[in-house]
Amino acid sequence: MHYVKLYFTCIKRSIISRLEYKKDTIISILSFLFSNACSLCSIYFILQAIPSLKGYSIAEVGFFYGFSMLPIALDHLFSDEFWLVAYRRVQLGDMDMHFLRPVPVIFQMFAETFQPDGFGEVIVGVTMMIVCGINLEATITFGAVFVLIIGAIFGAVIITSFKIIFSSLAFIFKRSGPLLQIIYNFTSYAKYPISIYPKFIRIILIFVLPFGLFVSLPINTLLYGSYNPYLLSLWIAGVAIIFFALSVFIWTRCEKRYESTGS
Amino acid sequence: MIEVKSLTKVFRKPIRGRGVLGMLKTLFSRKYKEIRAVDDVSFDIGEGEIVGYIGSNGAGKSTTIKMMCGILTPTSGKVLVNGREPYVKRKVVAKEIGVVFGQKTQLWWDIPLIESFKVLKEIYQVSEEDYKSRMEFLSSVLGIDEFLTQPVRTLSLGQRMRADLAASMLHNPKILFLDEPTIGMDVLVKEKIRQAIHALNAKYHTTVVLTTHDMVDIENLCSRIIMIEKGKIIYDGPLGDIKHRFGNIKTLTLTIPANINPQEVKPYSEEVDLITEKDKVMLRFDADKVKLEDVVQYAFSNYQAIDMKISDISIEDVVKKILAQQEEEKHAKEI
Amino acid sequence: MLKKYKPFLRASAMDLMAYKFNILIWVIVTIFEVVCLIFLWLAVYSSSEGGMDASINGFTYKEMIAYVVLTTVFGFVTFNNDTMWHINQDIIKGTIGNYVIKPISYRGKFVASNLGSFLMMGLLFGLPLYGISLGVLIGIGFLPIVSVWDFIAHIGLFLVSSVLACLLNDTIAYLFGILCFYTSSAWGLNSLKTTVISFLSGALLPLAFFSPIFRDIVGYMPFAGMSQNPILILMMKYDYWQSLKVILISLAWLIILELFVKLLFSHAIKKVTVQGG
Repeated sequence: MHYVKLYFTCIKRSIISRLEYKKDTIISILSFLFSNACSLCSIYFILQAIPSLKGYSIAEVGFFYGFSMLPIALDHLFSDEFWLVAYRRVQLGDMDMHFLRPVPVIFQMFAETFQPDGFGEVIVGVTMMIVCGINLEATITFGAVFVLIIGAIFGAVIITSFKIIFSSLAFIFKRSGPLLQIIYNFTSYAKYPISIYPKFIRIILIFVLPFGLFVSLPINTLLYGSYNPYLLSLWIAGVAIIFFALSVFIWTRCEKRYESTGS
Repeated sequence: MIEVKSLTKVFRKPIRGRGVLGMLKTLFSRKYKEIRAVDDVSFDIGEGEIVGYIGSNGAGKSTTIKMMCGILTPTSGKVLVNGREPYVKRKVVAKEIGVVFGQKTQLWWDIPLIESFKVLKEIYQVSEEDYKSRMEFLSSVLGIDEFLTQPVRTLSLGQRMRADLAASMLHNPKILFLDEPTIGMDVLVKEKIRQAIHALNAKYHTTVVLTTHDMVDIENLCSRIIMIEKGKIIYDGPLGDIKHRFGNIKTLTLTIPANINPQEVKPYSEEVDLITEKDKVMLRFDADKVKLEDVVQYAFSNYQAIDMKISDISIEDVVKKILAQQEEEKHAKEI
Repeated sequence: MLKKYKPFLRASAMDLMAYKFNILIWVIVTIFEVVCLIFLWLAVYSSSEGGMDASINGFTYKEMIAYVVLTTVFGFVTFNNDTMWHINQDIIKGTIGNYVIKPISYRGKFVASNLGSFLMMGLLFGLPLYGISLGVLIGIGFLPIVSVWDFIAHIGLFLVSSVLACLLNDTIAYLFGILCFYTSSAWGLNSLKTTVISFLSGALLPLAFFSPIFRDIVGYMPFAGMSQNPILILMMKYDYWQSLKVILISLAWLIILELFVKLLFSHAIKKVTVQGG
């Protein structure tokens, strides 16, 4: 209960900070719009040259894209601070304040920034899902909607766990930003139906870097009823919880290596 | 209150090779240079003490402080703060200590000071009444209400330090760690900070451990000093002893014209040490034994000084003197 | 006696392993990313109307795979500058004011260090990586060589355009770095820079896929010279005239941007010295 109250106090503080920098906010909105426009254009340019992608129509691929933005957006909203940890905060020795407080450091990282930019991604994602969804021939069942919601939420947990794992490596290497970046890039492969990849990539994208798990499988369940939605939900949630627990464990081990001084 | 037992911290810095070949080498095998920042340090600090933890730059002061407050984990040895190891029981110990670093603020940079306090109140779970009464006291001692609504980034160094001190006292810690609390400030502001530290110690009986470069800080604040050099403790005892040993030592530095050879001038007396550099002459003496004005007069008439400066003994000088004395004692024992 | 040192020994052995582990993950993940991209393109080509033999926007699937592989190597070797980060640090710490007084040029410092690291990366990693990837691509017939001399000439042109790409990238990073004077943090600007460059340079997708008007406009912007053009020169998709043309465009942009950056810097630094950092 204390932590819930504390979280909201900290978030309020983060928003006050954010409002101090209006120019930055405008730039980050611009950059967000531009990067989404770019990746939408890329997919559109590729798809217009072919009738369908391995049997998936343009509307279906668009739906994949829209849905894949939801877990990315949720992660973006709550865990943006880990980028700073990986790229600079550990390297500059700029985390002393967090080590002095009677609250777990990892909690403080979540509480340090709330990134409202994520709402933009939610809006774009949901809009695309609606626009493309109208053109889909799928019967919407309760189970399918349920598994989509679970996929979005626990997908975000999986992405966040990877962010935690690779940003905690900064405590060992001083700077782990580039490594985190290439891992994070794999979220963009989750935007495509996983069945376009050969089996070994599918296995990796489901079991090792499970970014294919929470987008492709739920949508296939919606479109073709490929899996039992409740078992799939259970599986996704289970994987997410395991990765999250692992990431917290790794972080708490690594934070003991913090050296404080800048290099 | 604080027990430090053979505390050691070793940092390993990667050795970077030179040139392209060196880069290539470090890519495949990386070698490390070990730096013992703190080497087998032990001491105890009791409740309500104000202890000066001093030494020259890079002697290991900050590293020790950071281990005492749980930021760094020691390589070996241990620290007990109120019976607990801070880097193991970080969350528990954090409630009992307050920390101020002179060079790094712990307040949020972009928001009004009062907002930072509100967040800290929540973090440390300070009750509404306690918060009010402490804020009242802290404002009266530190005068923070003048800039309570300003963002921290707009505060001057002195104001920021007062704000940081207030923030660290908000949860009424039993121990206060101050790392260079007066660094970079002018004399008046320094004095204000010192008075505040005294007031806090008197009101809450807070144990204070401070590192500093400023001899005046030490004389005004500390009853006991611990001196560290190259990671090892070289002195631990009351301030009076040090004063007794080094007295009221002052250095008179003169800039002299090129046509004067300082070697040719007859020394003032045996009680004044003479150190010469290119165009400078330094006269070091104990102001309790030799009168300052006599030395100044003598110096002006003999050296035709262009410029002069009188300075108190610096931490670096004290460290050097102690090391020299210990060397002598060791020598004497061996013989 | 020895027991005392055991924790140190173990820690340094672990550090060494961790460091190698870091490089290892990097290499594996990058290779995996390229493999994913290749299969994505294979899926696209196998779904196209002409099947695997189709040429989409002038690229066969073999050429597309060569393009993907070479672009990855190119990005790794050429784009290694921390210019923006350094400028941002200098602004935050206020050390940028010092450069007004110092005899060395602030801009020159970055050009020199980035060309240096480009050369070193090129020798250390570029030679083997280009060697292996070209060797494999030529070996499996994805990159047909008609005349050896022609190929060597294209390699020469590629080297020239690589250097220009590195300089252009540095100039644009510098430009964005100076923009940090006007905003308070570099975060948003940096991500904007990254997306602009990766999209408009053709690193994500060859510009030939863009719609015609858009493609022509982007073709005359400085970005194409930062990734797509050097790769297409190396792949011999450009003849000598086209190669020369894109090299000249890059050169012209480099000069224009360099002048612009100079003006902008003198404006920005005034702002700093007036405000006192």
